[in-house]
Amino acid sequence: MSDITKMRNIGISAHIDSGKTTLSERILFYSNRIHAIHEVRGRDGVGATMDSMELERERGITIASAATNVKWKGYSVNVIDTPGHVDFTIEVERSLRVLDGAILVLCSVGGVQSQSITVDRQMKRYNVPRIAFVNKCDRTGANPYRVKNQLVEKLGLNAVLMQIPIGLEDHLEGVVDLVKMQAVYFDGPSGETLRYEEIPQELVAEANAKREELLDTVSMVSDELMEAMLEESVTEELINKAVREATIGLKLVPVFMGSAYRNKGIQPLLDGVVSFLPNPSEVTNKALDLDNNEESVILKADGELPTVILGFKLEDGKYGQLTYIRIYQGSLKRGDELINTRTRKKLKVGRLVRMHADSMEDINEAYCGDIAALFGVDCASGDTFCHPSLNYSLTSMYVPRPVISLALNPVDKKSSDNMAKALNRFTKEDPTFTTYVDPESNQTIIQGMGELHLEVYVERMRREYKADVETDRPEVAYREAISQRADFNYTHRKQTGGSGQFARIAGYIEPLLATEEDKDYEFVNLVKGGVIPTDFIPSCDKGFQIALQKGTQLGFPIVGVRAVVNDGSFHPVDSSDQAFQTAALSAFREVYEQANPIILEPIMKVVVEGPTEFQGNIFGSINQRRGIIVSSTEDGNTSIIEAEVPLSEMFGYSTHLRSLTQGKAEYTMELAKYNRVPTSIAEELRKNYQEKRKAR
Amino acid sequence: MQRMELHELNALSPLRAFDESLGGGLGKGNLGVLVSRHGIGKTACLVQLATDKLFHNEHIVHISFSGNVEHVINWYKEVFRQIAADKPLKDASAIYNEILANRVVMNFSQENISIEKVLGSLETLIRQGSFNADAVMFDGYKLTVASEEDVRKIKQFALDMRLEVWFSVSPVRSNVEFDENGVPSTIYKYEDLIDALIGLKYNEEIDKVVMTLVRHEGISDPKPMRVTLDPKTMMIST
Repeated sequence: MSDITKMRNIGISAHIDSGKTTLSERILFYSNRIHAIHEVRGRDGVGATMDSMELERERGITIASAATNVKWKGYSVNVIDTPGHVDFTIEVERSLRVLDGAILVLCSVGGVQSQSITVDRQMKRYNVPRIAFVNKCDRTGANPYRVKNQLVEKLGLNAVLMQIPIGLEDHLEGVVDLVKMQAVYFDGPSGETLRYEEIPQELVAEANAKREELLDTVSMVSDELMEAMLEESVTEELINKAVREATIGLKLVPVFMGSAYRNKGIQPLLDGVVSFLPNPSEVTNKALDLDNNEESVILKADGELPTVILGFKLEDGKYGQLTYIRIYQGSLKRGDELINTRTRKKLKVGRLVRMHADSMEDINEAYCGDIAALFGVDCASGDTFCHPSLNYSLTSMYVPRPVISLALNPVDKKSSDNMAKALNRFTKEDPTFTTYVDPESNQTIIQGMGELHLEVYVERMRREYKADVETDRPEVAYREAISQRADFNYTHRKQTGGSGQFARIAGYIEPLLATEEDKDYEFVNLVKGGVIPTDFIPSCDKGFQIALQKGTQLGFPIVGVRAVVNDGSFHPVDSSDQAFQTAALSAFREVYEQANPIILEPIMKVVVEGPTEFQGNIFGSINQRRGIIVSSTEDGNTSIIEAEVPLSEMFGYSTHLRSLTQGKAEYTMELAKYNRVPTSIAEELRKNYQEKRKAR
Repeated sequence: MQRMELHELNALSPLRAFDESLGGGLGKGNLGVLVSRHGIGKTACLVQLATDKLFHNEHIVHISFSGNVEHVINWYKEVFRQIAADKPLKDASAIYNEILANRVVMNFSQENISIEKVLGSLETLIRQGSFNADAVMFDGYKLTVASEEDVRKIKQFALDMRLEVWFSVSPVRSNVEFDENGVPSTIYKYEDLIDALIGLKYNEEIDKVVMTLVRHEGISDPKPMRVTLDPKTMMIST
């Protein structure tokens, strides 16, 4: 299938427990990809097909984004399953990069929750058109109307109902299609047979009113529909066309509903996916031309053009090493030659496959816009592969800095080897997961985005790699910074037989302003009259960068520094690259104390959601943890409290919150910014660090 | 360093003239009301009053009923941006981060929420959240349809908790009459409970929103205030 207009790349994004995995499972079932339905926490022990990892199965959550291809009414739909927990945000973000559209799944009882807000914000960042599915309409307290209003109020989306329910809770029978103005029922043991009928008498008035609302809302963003309404010549095709254009233009979010568990409403949702979400050629994708100063170039979804491919996910599963790819431009055949623009290495396309959640199909060719997987390619996730005539890189994905670290101690030699293998794999798969060996303690340190993030990898090491490791307490990734300007004038001189070393540099270091926080470091060269030869200027820059790698207060990197060099001198024989590097490094170390160094700590944006009766306890718990309450929102009996809390105070918060609220509140967190640690705490940290150093 | 900058900023602020018109400010335990038709700039005004207090290191609770916290937060950003725009602030974003630590936005999206619930949550925040609020800004509270009992409760709360309380009020019904100062007739039923009542009205001749102190300290003797609002930027100036 090479017709790009019949191709869809979609994601399913949702709050945990909103029934996303069940929905994915049903989509596979109705599109004949699987032949039986299993439940997520199934009694049959098979588990839903999309949950491909053993660990995920056990915990009932989906961590890795598996891409799977399904066919629906002549369309080829790639479904990218995205994780629901914020600690795995990079996975979500990576998926969003390759999607052209998404289904936002919401629970008809829980509605828009804090995590839906996070996920929606990510979709906004990547301009992903979306349709909403209000799931679990069979549950007690189901109210899709309320959820639709929350989409408007809480997420600021122009949401519009495409359907209304026929019965709710136990009595959910089907839906009314507000475009066709027909009732839809789902017959057969698994709801596979659709039956269209007239709208039940008692729902006619409601359906008319909601159709009116649908037309009003859509006509506000479609002149064509507006005119047709004035001329009273509205047709089904016209409505669908207007909804499609508005959805792709990010001006509208059509809302569908049903119950995946009860097999109701899934086929109309799939119709919605192919009718309203864009095909790959309707989305603009950009790349950076590395041969032309990283100038941004627009990629054309044209199979005849030179190929540009993104490797967005690596997986080391039972089939061996897989690289999931998306083709942005050109096409791909077995035997084609590509170049990895990061490593400049050439590779030949060997085995090419299309993935289903737990099985795969060999293909000879993949087309423009498609998602497929390559076998045995050595690369990191996020690498770009191009036709050898091009040197493009797809826009670098936003990678947040790690905020937490954990020391690992393998119990024996075998575990140590396995651990190394596992870490090598994980760091390639997940750019937010990094690892290094601490030269002082000789311990292996892993770093990531949160406690759970690291815990999951430690678990995977134990299960998949049989690496038995013990862990220390997780530690916060602090930063060091300076708070005032300090001038330096340093001479490096060494005379120990043979050729000597000489370099003198002068200038100052000063803090970068908060408005420049995107930058960690800036080097400014104000040297005049060649007192330091141009060749050695980069050496000074490099020397400072080495100094910044590890501060002397806590041993963490120093950020937010501008280093200015404005004077110096050199010796025609004894000056060298090395001499100037050493001079810069020593100059920095010498004035660091005078620049009044401070410690920065990661501040998390924490969103707690729970019943209003526990609001006081939640406020109290934030206050206890040096947190700042930013806002609280009450809606009926639910309160959402947004706060900024230092990460160092967040350890064990989930347990504490559970006990404070009888388990009825939950929270999410993500990095907000780095802030200065209060003086008394900074003193404590410095003291501990010095003691630890002495102890070694 | 930043303290010094703030000091200068505060001395030059048009809010000094605003306070002067009120005999040095509204003061704790008192209720102040800003009224006008829709879209004249009451929220902008309220946010500027709040920002000025934040600059004085006071703690503010902003209460909104819109269901959209982001919207309120953006107002603060915008007002701060405007204030900082032509001032020689060395590191504006650091100052902004610092003052924001003293502001909490409370949002009630449920329709027709009772004043007891609002005050209850406010008290919870102040006591259990240890937030020492100095002032509370009620943004868009439906004061014109509130009962006298409700307003009395707010007044008592302001006295008990030592809070300066400001309201921005637009009439709920569309057939309300406005007098020459932009004040709707429906507000007068509580005038005894209001310590400062300020009407906002657009004046076409000078292209400004003029502010009139309609009632102050129990006396209804409308006096023009020394400040106006620019209808384009919505910023207060002298």
